[in-house]
Amino acid sequence: MTTLTYIEASGSRTDVDVPDGWSLMQAAIANGIDGILGECGGSCACATCHCYVDDLLMAALPAPSASELDMLDNVSAERRPNSRLACQIKASPALAGGSLTLPETQE
Amino acid sequence: MSFSFDPYSPAIDADPFPYYKILRDEHPCFWSPEAQMWVLSRYADIVTAGQDWQTYSSASGNLMTELPGRAGATLGSSDPPRHDRLRGLIQHAFMKRNLLALEEPIRAVARQVFGQLRGVERFDFKEVSSQFTVKVLMAALGLPMGDEAIVDEQTVRDNAVLMVQSDARTRTKGPEHIAAYNWMQEYAAKVIALRRAEPRDDLISHFAMAEIDGDRLDEREVLLTTTTLIMAGVESLGGFMMMFAYNLASFDEARRAVVANPALLPDAVEESLRFNTSAQRFRRRLMKDVTLHGQTMKTGDFVCLAYGSGNRDERQYPNPDAYDITRKPRGHLGFGGGVHACLGTAIARLAIKTAFEEFHQVVPEYHRMQDQLAWMPSSTFRSPLVLDLSTR
Repeated sequence: MTTLTYIEASGSRTDVDVPDGWSLMQAAIANGIDGILGECGGSCACATCHCYVDDLLMAALPAPSASELDMLDNVSAERRPNSRLACQIKASPALAGGSLTLPETQE
Repeated sequence: MSFSFDPYSPAIDADPFPYYKILRDEHPCFWSPEAQMWVLSRYADIVTAGQDWQTYSSASGNLMTELPGRAGATLGSSDPPRHDRLRGLIQHAFMKRNLLALEEPIRAVARQVFGQLRGVERFDFKEVSSQFTVKVLMAALGLPMGDEAIVDEQTVRDNAVLMVQSDARTRTKGPEHIAAYNWMQEYAAKVIALRRAEPRDDLISHFAMAEIDGDRLDEREVLLTTTTLIMAGVESLGGFMMMFAYNLASFDEARRAVVANPALLPDAVEESLRFNTSAQRFRRRLMKDVTLHGQTMKTGDFVCLAYGSGNRDERQYPNPDAYDITRKPRGHLGFGGGVHACLGTAIARLAIKTAFEEFHQVVPEYHRMQDQLAWMPSSTFRSPLVLDLSTR
């Protein structure tokens, strides 16, 4: 388990213990985080699990794949340099203490 | 008597849920000698396996009873990076925002098909749901329709339904299932040839002509992926519609709520995907040894991910055996999960919502005519073969 903090657009913060290997999208929807939709189920096909990752995650995460970069073109909120798709980020101890901020809208 | 779980048994076709509960509570990592595979039944274990494609590989096939020659050449039966390049070619067409053009055609099909029920007091829901699914799929994939049709719609439907079935006695595909699979491949090959000769702006034309990094897809990939899109589209959409109608016909309160307020349909669809979706079980193969709940599964072993059981796991969903359309069951496994989550989620949700809006306009009140139903023999999917409904 790795603890990460989800910050919703309203500012509300939730710490979630994410099983290692789970995607941050899967953990969000299994724990009732409303700011992530994950409509496609995690196959990088819908761009509704858009998040902004903090500096810790920026440094710890591998770069997005070509398909994640393609799909990031489709996010509905503003795309920023720290935009990622939560379904493509897998929890591991290296991410402990990281936080992700969710946009106002996903669709 | 010791516990057994045989996904080929007619008892499991009819009602797997009591077996799933025993699996979850007493045998969360269970070896089924009948299926020759491990069965994972708890929500968290299925999600973990679904995310970890490096360990739980699909490249040896994803159907519980695989079709010959199919593994490795389709989206569902390949792993990244091969999977990702195939998926990249197709998924764009299935994204929600790219389906807007299909909204009106789907609505028109629904009006025409369900309009036939005006004044009818008794009918088999399969008659209408199968007409609807084949027409929607033909429009979505760009299969030749109307004057251009090269086969009749009912034949497509019959073969799609047969090819996902398996034989309860031999625990394999029977000759009729293989024949249906071969028929579907031949049909797909004809459509591909037609679209290559005169490409159009449709999914199969794009896919058949696609090149990746200058390489054409290999012929088997084009053929079997197209075959699978037709099978998955017709059978999965049709099977789920049967299950949704079955639930609404069985639970009066839920039916009356969605008929009175169609805005509740999407939540009812999500709850049906959780409660008893037609896609019950899929298969993976281990690429390394995994120890889980005290059992060691070996490299090369097959593993069943029992999505239908994970969806009833009380560790994830309180009171899981209640059909509650106000539940909003986020994270359900009705479309699978992870890299292989269903490609067609957006079109399935759109088509089903539209179908039932139009169905309920014509038939606002209906009930099942039989308590006992005949269930499809399939180790992977579950839906009734016939669903006789009465409006009285």
